[in-house]
Amino acid sequence: MQAFLAILQYDLGQLTRSWVSRVWVPLLIVPALFLVVVARDETELASETMAVYIAAVLAPISALAVSILASGAISGESNIISDSILSRSVTRTEYVFAKIISRVGFTLVVYALVVTPFSYLVIRYAIADTSVGGVVAGLLMIAALLAFLAAFGIAMSVAMSSVLPAVLVVLLAVTLSGAVLQFLGLSWMSTTAVIDGLPETFRGDTPVWEQVRVVLVFSLLTVAALVSSVWLFRRKDL
Amino acid sequence: MYVVQTNDLTKIYENSYIALNALNLRVDKGMVFGLVGPNGAGKSTTFRILLGLQRPTAGSVSVFGEAMSPERADIRRRVGYLPTNPSFPKHMTPITYLEFVGSILGMDSARAKVQLARLLQAVDLATAAAQRIRGFSTGMMTRLGIAAALMGDPELLILDEPTSGLDPAGRKQTIELIRELSGRDRTIIIATHILSDVERVCSDVGIIAQGRLIYAGPMAEMRRLARQGSISIEIEGNTSAFEQQIHTLDEIGSVRYERIGSEFRITFLGTEPLSEYVQRVISLVDRTGVDMLYITTGADEIEEAFLRRLEDDRTRGFLRAAAWAAAHDSGGGELSDFSELEQPDAGLPRHPAI
Repeated sequence: MQAFLAILQYDLGQLTRSWVSRVWVPLLIVPALFLVVVARDETELASETMAVYIAAVLAPISALAVSILASGAISGESNIISDSILSRSVTRTEYVFAKIISRVGFTLVVYALVVTPFSYLVIRYAIADTSVGGVVAGLLMIAALLAFLAAFGIAMSVAMSSVLPAVLVVLLAVTLSGAVLQFLGLSWMSTTAVIDGLPETFRGDTPVWEQVRVVLVFSLLTVAALVSSVWLFRRKDL
Repeated sequence: MYVVQTNDLTKIYENSYIALNALNLRVDKGMVFGLVGPNGAGKSTTFRILLGLQRPTAGSVSVFGEAMSPERADIRRRVGYLPTNPSFPKHMTPITYLEFVGSILGMDSARAKVQLARLLQAVDLATAAAQRIRGFSTGMMTRLGIAAALMGDPELLILDEPTSGLDPAGRKQTIELIRELSGRDRTIIIATHILSDVERVCSDVGIIAQGRLIYAGPMAEMRRLARQGSISIEIEGNTSAFEQQIHTLDEIGSVRYERIGSEFRITFLGTEPLSEYVQRVISLVDRTGVDMLYITTGADEIEEAFLRRLEDDRTRGFLRAAAWAAAHDSGGGELSDFSELEQPDAGLPRHPAI
């Protein structure tokens, strides 16, 4: 447990110092503030403003940032993992769990810290056409998507030995997934479909089972990606 | 119980490269064991398996009598490891890195600070303690690695090329440090190809080549084997006459020599005492009328022994192959005829490490 906490602390320190985090957070906050001002002045609908923010700002910027941060979780340290960390009294499980908690947790905390005040301000200053349940469901769906992206990035980080190919695979998978899912008749699972339906979801017009389906499926995919990461990392030669 | 024991330890990378070939290594408590071998012999792979960083393809490894695996952090807590050319988080300083190592080891902050201050002093990094590791030289990285390996006051210390990249002063200091550490009921395994380092600090030595331990024994025995029949002499005058008569030094002709300018390195393959061979060389000097500039039996003795063991191993490998081919040609499979050749150190004294 001591080792787990030491690595968790170390990794969170890495993340807060990372240039990706330093660029990512301001890039989310500045447009959010701008949209709040516009929504107030132009009397925009809250549901539309929030959906536009997520589609045009949060989703693309966060996809890139989370892909880089998650894909570098283990492959980014491949040169020091064995020399400096795992040759000490640390188990593989402790190490990979600390990385998972740190990277997925950091992603969700940044997301929550940005969207919670943003949603509050938009609902307050724009035309409040949203329902509480709809906003919570919509934000949860996006959280599930981001968590899966982080988990998938960590899995790629375990599978590959350098960061760049891992990032490219994650971004390629995200980009191509829409077409593949449509071909498979699962277009409701694509990020595009989820984001397109956000205005209705925020207004509370999306059926509950559709919201639950998205959250449940992406949560299960996240768990599957994380279990694969742990399994693979425990068997890997360093 | 051995501190380290491997049984037929084998590692094959991706079915294409045999890094370890049925390695049987035994290291007793309190030994300072030097693992010597050429590059790619399997020294680092052995260490990585000992630490659970890699899994063996076949065979077993136990440390402190327990099977090692990636999840055995409890065993690794008792082991300090210095890798070759160690890497550390570049943004950290020696202080923050050693604090991190201390927290991994479960040390409380106050104890970790006392220990790291002591160690940074010992490895001469006290003045660079607050500098970022990013700007460190290879020697500084190695010294930091030694400090990190010692943070938990380990019972077993595994040092992979501890003097590589160090300047002469740093090398001397490291050797002194290892000497000091060895006197504390601690077991130390050092991999190196700097044989003089092994000679200076190790109580026992093992030679590894192509993933196999081809010799293991006490350092004193290794020295004795080296001295057994090797004489270096430098002469001037009629060196050709001297050279022509070298073969007469041994009645059955079991003598080899190498000439480097006016220096002759003469190796006797017989079993007579070295003093007898020295007398014969001096008589030859008298007979041929050359002037002797110096004569020695000690120069490069460990290198000599090391190379001789490698040469022996190559010869045995060739003989094994020839015997196998002969048995195959005759359709026999008379493997028992050359089973002695399969012994890792046929004809040499046995040692618990083999």
